[in-house]
Amino acid sequence: MKLAFYSLTSCEGCLTTLITKLGPDIEGLWNNFDIDYFKLVREPVGGSKFPKADIAFVEGAVVTNLDREHLQEIRKSSRFVVAIGTCASTGNIAYTASRNVKLGKKALSVLEVREAEPLSSVIALDYELNGCPVNAAEFIDGLLRLVNGLEPVQPDFSVCYQCKLAGNACLLDKKQICLGPIAMGGCEAACTSVGSPCLACRGPYIEADLKAYFKTLENKGLKVEDAKPLLRMFMGKKIKEVLKE
Amino acid sequence: MSDSILIDTGDLRFIEGHGQLVVKSHGGRIEAEFHNLEGPRFLTKYMRGKPVELAPRVASRICGLCYTVHSISSAEAVERALGMKISEDVKKLRNVLYMANNLRSHLIHLLFLSIPPVEGLISALRMRDMNIVRMGANILSKATELIEVWGGRSVHVPNVIVGGFGKAIKCKELLRPIHDLAMLSNDAEQLVRYALNLELPELERYRILAALKRPGSYPIYAEEANVAFSDGSALSPSEYYEGLEEVSKDYSTSKHVYFKKSEITVGALSRIMLNKRYLSSRARELAEEVEWGLNPFLNIKAQAIEVLHYMDELISLGGELAEIPPENLKPEDIKAHRDRGTGFFVAEAPRGTLCHYCEIEDWKVKDYRVYTPTAINSKSIENDAVELVKRFKPIGSQKLRFILEDMVRSYDPCLSCAVSLDIYE
Repeated sequence: MKLAFYSLTSCEGCLTTLITKLGPDIEGLWNNFDIDYFKLVREPVGGSKFPKADIAFVEGAVVTNLDREHLQEIRKSSRFVVAIGTCASTGNIAYTASRNVKLGKKALSVLEVREAEPLSSVIALDYELNGCPVNAAEFIDGLLRLVNGLEPVQPDFSVCYQCKLAGNACLLDKKQICLGPIAMGGCEAACTSVGSPCLACRGPYIEADLKAYFKTLENKGLKVEDAKPLLRMFMGKKIKEVLKE
Repeated sequence: MSDSILIDTGDLRFIEGHGQLVVKSHGGRIEAEFHNLEGPRFLTKYMRGKPVELAPRVASRICGLCYTVHSISSAEAVERALGMKISEDVKKLRNVLYMANNLRSHLIHLLFLSIPPVEGLISALRMRDMNIVRMGANILSKATELIEVWGGRSVHVPNVIVGGFGKAIKCKELLRPIHDLAMLSNDAEQLVRYALNLELPELERYRILAALKRPGSYPIYAEEANVAFSDGSALSPSEYYEGLEEVSKDYSTSKHVYFKKSEITVGALSRIMLNKRYLSSRARELAEEVEWGLNPFLNIKAQAIEVLHYMDELISLGGELAEIPPENLKPEDIKAHRDRGTGFFVAEAPRGTLCHYCEIEDWKVKDYRVYTPTAINSKSIENDAVELVKRFKPIGSQKLRFILEDMVRSYDPCLSCAVSLDIYE
């Protein structure tokens, strides 16, 4: 089976997470699959053309014309395209940040920069793995399911679920705005477990109820207006859909 | 006058981000352009108007390889702007994260990116001595574990916040990953010896090197140090910051950064050349075996020496860390300090000297700038490309292309970092 790992505009933290988390096991991945494209690990097969792949994993948002062209080619040459990480699934911080910049003013001689978009704005995606960065265990689980012809599963619970399991005190009670109640879990509540409020880096979870969340904030004596910029931070295009703006 | 393209590397392989190096002949004169083709993510622009607490968490997203140095530098810059004093114990533990991250970044670069192509291999996983790769990958995963224990996650650590740490994890927990690293100490030495035996091209070219320097210690993040230059001069961090100059190029999404209108080179090689005597004893002994010079390819060997140094430092810190009581690590309250000011912080990131600058008003970020080592080194990469083409022209453009790519990689450029100083206003 052929795998390919691509990177568009991103910090490449998702692919390095996979490399470091796999550690010496990367050899196993290498021996069990044909990996024809993984720029951080090997020279690509086929020169400038993208090789045929059964599953292509793509990190990063679509910002430049090259990103767009490459992504369209990746779609054509791959049977399955899986978005990995929040840049690829929501556009990440860049989605909101690039909308306040005058992009047309400065034309580059070699490249065209546009407003950041998640992969789903450009191509039809088969599956998304969220997280900034992506969770390596979830990646391996997703890969094994795809290989065995099963549909991968996304966590269907909020960050609060795992946060409570970890025994943390609620940050909303401490008068801090935390997006845990609407954020997709699966991160083992990494941020809230060290006392940093959740910023929903994995996007909204499937049953996210924004109205109820706003009500909760008011009940706790917090301002809804203070939460709105945080909603737009990592959730990019996905929150735009939820907020119906 | 028309330009003719001599060599175009195309999309550079084995580097962080997307870039291209083009060498042209412009009316008989050879010129090089280092194109950054990575899209900007406008992270520093995003910060404007946002509460200062968010700064380290956004800054971390600048890079997936050197995220802790970005989040720590960001926290320090904000702390300085607000006049906050950070306890020695917090600094000590930030330093642990910092060194573990440098170790991780260097190992990824050496194992997967720089060494295989220098040896003419298509991948690290095709190395003749696979044990080297296994040992390296093992150290890599242990260094990442250390970051994870203290930072709360392996990449984009949430535990670094303005004022200290979000949660004071019991310092004893650090002892296990540090012990694991100590067990791999001999493996690391073998790996470093392997890197030191590499045959690298000769490309001596005069340039000024710069790195932090403080008598008595190898530059680590936390100490007040001056920026030293290879011409013998030294400047305070504020004088250094004043001298940085942003230059836009129409072929690159990132700006280049000059120092007082001229080129400087930063990175592991600069650090070693200026601070060799402060390396750990084992690293220093090995460093003596290398003939150091102004050759960018030597940065690969310099990084290898640093791998050993950071490991030794972490191992020797071990016991000391266990003594730190968690009460000493409680974060300071931001609102107890002034609400405005400017601050900057200069640190040695894996790829060289990094500077974060922020302006704060009403506890909100008003302006934020990040001067990355790759933006500073871009000029040196171009100058070295010209020099390389002049000297090695007889070997033919096909071979030359590979050496050019190796040269760019030896700087360990991070194009995702460099776009933080984008050309859009």
